[in-house]
Amino acid sequence: MTKKSFLVIAILCLALVIAVMPFAGACAPKAQPGQVLKIGMMNPSTGKAAEKGLPMMNGNNDVIKYINAELGGAGGYPIEATVLDSNYDATKVVTIVKGFMSSGCLLFTTAASAEMSPAKASANEAGFPGISCFSSPSLYRPPAHIYGQTPDYGDDAIVFANYYMKNIWKGTGKPKFALLMLNNPTGYGARDAFKAKADELGIEVVSMDEHAATTTSEMDTLTRVKGLTPDVLYISSTPAPTAVIIKNARDLGMYPGVTIGCCHAGMTKALIDLGGADVVEGVYGVYPTVQWGNNVPGMAKMAEYCQQYHPANVGNADYMVSWAQGLIVAKALELAVKNVGYDTLAKGDAAAWQAVETQGIQKLKDYDVAGLHGPVSYTPGDNRLDKFNRIFQVVGGKITPLTDWVEAPLIKYETYDWFGK
Amino acid sequence: MDLPSGTRNYDYARDMAVMRTKTHWAFFVGFLVLVFTAPLYLRNDWLGVFNLIGITIVAVTGLNILIGYCGQLSIGHAGFMAVGAYTTGILTGELGVPFPLGLLCAGLSAGLIGIVFGLPSVRVKGFYLAITTIAAQFIIIWIINHWSLTGGFVGMDVPRASIFGFVFKTEASQYYLIMVIVALCIFLAKNLARGRVGRAFIAVRDNDLAAEVMGINLLYYKLLAFFIGCFLAGIAGALYAHWTGFLNAENFTLTDSILYIGMVIIGGLGTTIGPILGVVVIRLLQQLIIYISPFIENAIPALSTGFTTGLGPMVFGLAIILFLILEPRGLAHRWALFKAAYRLWPFSY
Repeated sequence: MTKKSFLVIAILCLALVIAVMPFAGACAPKAQPGQVLKIGMMNPSTGKAAEKGLPMMNGNNDVIKYINAELGGAGGYPIEATVLDSNYDATKVVTIVKGFMSSGCLLFTTAASAEMSPAKASANEAGFPGISCFSSPSLYRPPAHIYGQTPDYGDDAIVFANYYMKNIWKGTGKPKFALLMLNNPTGYGARDAFKAKADELGIEVVSMDEHAATTTSEMDTLTRVKGLTPDVLYISSTPAPTAVIIKNARDLGMYPGVTIGCCHAGMTKALIDLGGADVVEGVYGVYPTVQWGNNVPGMAKMAEYCQQYHPANVGNADYMVSWAQGLIVAKALELAVKNVGYDTLAKGDAAAWQAVETQGIQKLKDYDVAGLHGPVSYTPGDNRLDKFNRIFQVVGGKITPLTDWVEAPLIKYETYDWFGK
Repeated sequence: MDLPSGTRNYDYARDMAVMRTKTHWAFFVGFLVLVFTAPLYLRNDWLGVFNLIGITIVAVTGLNILIGYCGQLSIGHAGFMAVGAYTTGILTGELGVPFPLGLLCAGLSAGLIGIVFGLPSVRVKGFYLAITTIAAQFIIIWIINHWSLTGGFVGMDVPRASIFGFVFKTEASQYYLIMVIVALCIFLAKNLARGRVGRAFIAVRDNDLAAEVMGINLLYYKLLAFFIGCFLAGIAGALYAHWTGFLNAENFTLTDSILYIGMVIIGGLGTTIGPILGVVVIRLLQQLIIYISPFIENAIPALSTGFTTGLGPMVFGLAIILFLILEPRGLAHRWALFKAAYRLWPFSY
């Protein structure tokens, strides 16, 4: 074949492909009126965690609007999402998740690990799959039907400690870590990780102190910790207490001097706003998403919807995580529709839940979530869907990325007899 | 108790009976049929709501004995529920104790802890007693969060209730278990209130000095009220633990304790029907708000972002205020007025 004839054939093929493209849509399943994929989403948009839950609820609502309006739903079927406020109340969570199961939802999502904890018993017992935006190891170790959207608080601690050992620690022997943890799964996830892996990481954990979300001073704790001459203060907490601790560390002359690392619950813009840019300058932290304004494929559309429907949430990292959660759910449903067909899912029963889990969630493979966070894949025995974090540092009053995606290793916590106690 | 027009009692036994006419019995049997056939026509999620209502009725009935009958203010009721919940969780989950024994121990342990925190009631009352019971709430939750046996902040899994090998796994089976226990607790509360103990409680509530002069042992009856009130809280906690299958201290907050007091106020203090009415109204209101909030937000785009998220607390607060102003004797009083109208029928006065 001559070059010329090859070129002609290639052009003809290309023209043919372009010509038939409009008809390709006709091959995709087309939803009949009333045919929808029902899901349940809950967020603590009121209560103790409303500052995170409200933007997350808005993110969930907006992404479902976007998926239905611009992506044609999931696998050709519109998603009907029931988005409810859990009030961060365990009792409400239980009734809500039972309601989702009874109303034919195919899966459910939560924002916080504290919401998923009371939901998981009923969901696991029934085989009803759930995905939590933020998670702690106790939700899915050992793995059952609950999945973590982003790396858990234990993963944060391990990723940061690894980074510290490779890039910051210049001394001899084991560096001393002091853990300051919030008195809930956010803090205890980090505690579990350090208990499991401190020796392997080559670090010595000299203290583990908890604090409340409403703390206004940790001077007592830090005064005692100072006496232990730690090299690192690792804070696994939300922005307000993290800011208090960093301020106290400055007042005591500990910082600068020690290295301060934060988990993803604390490493947000709110930390700088609450603590003050000069106070938190130089603090390290981990976060599982890109930042607002980064050049990734999904940024423009997310920003457009956020600006249109919830302009107050522009720049909010929690909004981004829940937007990404919607995209992951849509992808899982799309895979399930493709693999088992709509009719199986339409029933919304135990068979449909199993189909969504095994043929949807567990078929996720390197899904890039429009670049908004690390790639999403299911690995057998590991219910963390995204296993990647990035290390950030506050530089010049801005949260600046220091690394690309760093994978957090799987820790089988259930093999430790202290786990869950 | 008044009887419908033209009805009379012919012996003491009938005078003392709870059900005194055939109409009473007919209504009662009809109500029981309605309650126990609910799983036939209610969806699982609604059964779940009614299970929660049943559990809360047990807890609030206990609180009503304490506050409504004996006048001892307690703001730590959720803490006492937690004692019962964790007792059965540890006994049945960790030690393999049968559920009925776990349930009984849950009630007893909460009752005994209640006595400990009720001791100050001998010396203090009113707001001062309220503060000591708040201490109970904080101390109990702190211990739960820092004790390895309870799973600390992470929480603990609790097995489903089972009796002689039958596991109450489905929502319907749990419903029957809970409703039977609710019926027993209400029966206990009703008879307690009508008997010697109930009259002693009321005497202590109305004027403890006068009660003591009459020969009522204040220490005994105040502590007995704490024991019974907290025993029922422990039973409710145990049912809650087996119903949810998971326990965390977050399930038993100070807000819950305050909510229970609100239910007693709205229902009507010092009546058996009051806690039932208060719990049903508040729990259904909560459920209504959960489901109508998204519709309101979608239907009225002009509302500011997150407007409906404040709806729950606003409605609850408003309900308490309105009841305190307009009907301080609660829904039970409205029910009594309705019954009085029925009794007088066909006469208008």
